[in-house]
Amino acid sequence: MSAAPDPHPTPASRPDRAVLSLKGVKKHFPIREGAFQRVTGWVRAVDGVSFDIRPGETVGLVGESGCGKSTLGRCVSGLTDVTAGGVYFDLPAEASRLLDNIASGTATDAEKARVAQIEAAHRIDRLQGAGYKRFRRNCQMVFQDSFASLNPRHLVVDIVGRSLRVYKEASGTELTERVVELLEQVGMGRQHLYRYPHQFSGGQRQRISIARALATNPDVIILDEPTSALDVSVQAQILNLLSDLQKQHNLAYLFITHDLSVVRHMADRLVVMYLGKVSEAGVTSDVFDAPHHPYTRALMEAKPDIEGAASEQAQGLDGVVPDPARPPRGCRFHTRCHMATPSCGWEVDDVIRRLEDIPGLFDALSGVERKSDFAASLTFGDAAAAERLVSILDSDGIPAAMRSAMGRLERRDRTVSVAFDEVPDVDLRITEPGRVASCVLSPIEVFQGVNE
Amino acid sequence: MMGHLETDMADAVRTAPATVASVRDLKVHFAAKRGVVHAVDGVSFDIRDGETLGLVGETGCGKSVTGRSFLRLLPVPPGILAGGSVTFRPHALCEDCDGAGCDACGCTGRKAVVCPSCRGQGCATCDGTGAETIDLLKIDTETLRKLRGDRVAMIFQDPGKALNPTLTIGQQVAEVFLQHRTDELIELAGLSPETGGALRRFARQDHRFGDGILLSLPPFRGQRRRIQAALDKMVARALAETQVPNPASLMDRYPHELSGGMRQRVMIAQALACNPDLLIADEPTTALDVTVEARILELIRDLQMRRRSSVLYISHDLSLVRRICDRVAVMYAGRVVEIGPTAEVFRNPRHPYTRGLLAAVPTADTPRGGLAAIKGTVPELVDPPAACRFAGRCRHETEACRRFDPTLEPVSETHAVACFIDHPAPEGDQPSFERITE
Repeated sequence: MSAAPDPHPTPASRPDRAVLSLKGVKKHFPIREGAFQRVTGWVRAVDGVSFDIRPGETVGLVGESGCGKSTLGRCVSGLTDVTAGGVYFDLPAEASRLLDNIASGTATDAEKARVAQIEAAHRIDRLQGAGYKRFRRNCQMVFQDSFASLNPRHLVVDIVGRSLRVYKEASGTELTERVVELLEQVGMGRQHLYRYPHQFSGGQRQRISIARALATNPDVIILDEPTSALDVSVQAQILNLLSDLQKQHNLAYLFITHDLSVVRHMADRLVVMYLGKVSEAGVTSDVFDAPHHPYTRALMEAKPDIEGAASEQAQGLDGVVPDPARPPRGCRFHTRCHMATPSCGWEVDDVIRRLEDIPGLFDALSGVERKSDFAASLTFGDAAAAERLVSILDSDGIPAAMRSAMGRLERRDRTVSVAFDEVPDVDLRITEPGRVASCVLSPIEVFQGVNE
Repeated sequence: MMGHLETDMADAVRTAPATVASVRDLKVHFAAKRGVVHAVDGVSFDIRDGETLGLVGETGCGKSVTGRSFLRLLPVPPGILAGGSVTFRPHALCEDCDGAGCDACGCTGRKAVVCPSCRGQGCATCDGTGAETIDLLKIDTETLRKLRGDRVAMIFQDPGKALNPTLTIGQQVAEVFLQHRTDELIELAGLSPETGGALRRFARQDHRFGDGILLSLPPFRGQRRRIQAALDKMVARALAETQVPNPASLMDRYPHELSGGMRQRVMIAQALACNPDLLIADEPTTALDVTVEARILELIRDLQMRRRSSVLYISHDLSLVRRICDRVAVMYAGRVVEIGPTAEVFRNPRHPYTRGLLAAVPTADTPRGGLAAIKGTVPELVDPPAACRFAGRCRHETEACRRFDPTLEPVSETHAVACFIDHPAPEGDQPSFERITE
């Protein structure tokens, strides 16, 4: 593994490598306030995501809006810098293991020295010169809104041929012929060369975007909701096209979408994200057959089906996605989970999340003294308000799991002290070979739906 | 004699067809530079009392235009109402049972309003049904204003755009009551029904110069506050119906402070505030996440059941329509090509376009890359020729399809389709599902 790669090596021809490898990727956006734009907090859009994309495979990335899936797509393609962690391009398995060892703190000094070398050669924000160009050529992106992502002042021939010109691969007639070739690959033709994007339908514009991505003969394409703006019959055309191209060019896809039926159709492996973290990952068919995380299960149950029994049993989820600037402790999903247990990380903020909508409950709140995320004292203006909070916390107004996680609940005059059992944050763990999920429950329990 | 007349009227209304609205040969065209676009070109269907009718189709097939024509929300010009009618039969609480459900109203608790010109005997204005029939395309704007939001309401696709960003939620929902429920409001405020002048104008959102000063003077100030309090109570009740937490605090917030799902709940509260007979839902969940979508659908369904409203549910999502609609009408290029009970249409689609749409949805068993896409694109609707609109994309077309225009004909008692596969073509080869022409 040398730092200077040969001119056109293709990771696709070497299956022991990951085309793209994400290691603990974090992307935090600053929240600025006041006249001096002081940073007052961080929105944790992506908060520690790791997975690999291997040559020729499709990895599906699903989640609700605001879960960080598009931000992750932009980090992976190098459009946004990461806050922590790294995205590695064309990473050999051996180097990948080494990086994992470093992360877990079990590496030797010699190995640490090797890491600097690996990072310079593979980490996309450390790549320079030829290495960086190679990454750019081999990692392309297709965006959701084809109208916004194609320059309205440019002709199709310029849009698709741009990268060929930039990389000095072709010019003049040859360039035009290459563009025609690319257009034909996506089911369009010579007659479309000298038109502007607005002259095409949504499906055709998306084809142009795909042709543009194919121009540099990439190894991996990041598809950010490529069919969300399209009708179902056009969507079918585009999905078929993407599958055909994948077979022809041995492309790897990162397929970002919120549409579960599309991802089930397209993806080999599935990564489910919730609030900036991976809640579950595994082979697509396995995940659909038996979700190992209650969130995945809720997503799948909410999805309307075109086949099978027409049921109205869709459950959906209560509440809203919590603020990503202050994500819940423990399992991030516990605030909306139907199967939450006492050990899911209940904390003081959950008292507010649960009860803030009760009229007048917190009107008399005069002070909060936080000892930790799990313990705090709330001081009210009068004892009656404090007593009201205690009685609600001690009733069916809050989930049973939350009540049993409450180690201490006492009122001294106008002050209510609450303390929850401290639990560590729930990390991804291997539930089955090739499957990971971040849930305290076992797959069987998730399947049976305890506490429901 | 009087009694005899009354029985007659009851009979007439009872036998009236249970349709809440009928669209007949509706044509809506748009004047464009390249010619006249036939966006909706001869659409006919009925919405039955208490049912959910799904209107599905792809972008540009005219489904939203059809929905908007119920409330005449189309820009005219460039829009041209080129013909047809949209008739609507308002319903009222059954006076025999006061909503409890009796024989006279078929246990629904609601009854069609008796036609004012023939008193239920059946005349030309009401198609001989004896029920009041209003042509929504012909009535004057004043009458339409009274119906909009009261008897016919609409939920729009994007609640971020449909809500006014400069008004609080409370102010926006209150508008419905101020426009349509002035009397009820005055009664709830404990004022005499004869209250007039500035106070009534206040309760009707009809401000005149000087009213502001007048209502801030002592005798009126208190009464105005009582009306305001009554209004807040009605708004809170309407919001509470949509299961929003803490409606009172929600009323003081602005749309941008709410999540998409919450905004859509506010829209639903607004639309259902006056118990409309007909609700037009134009893709109400398209902008929402799947988990939130499930909740919103459940909510619409639940509220509709309780009020026995009819719903025209416009959507491009077949799986969703399948889940919530009783009947479904499939639109293509400005026409209804197939209509029937949801289960039947999905089990045995008779139009090649419906079949194509269903096959294009990825399922668990479709091999990758093997989706059955419909070839080609939707035709331009500028001066369409007399031919099947789907000809050119259809796998089964023959010469007859390119020369004649099939009309919507029944294939069974409940199921109708516009295709020569099930109906004899005027001349030439008969298309069939067995024969595939490429």
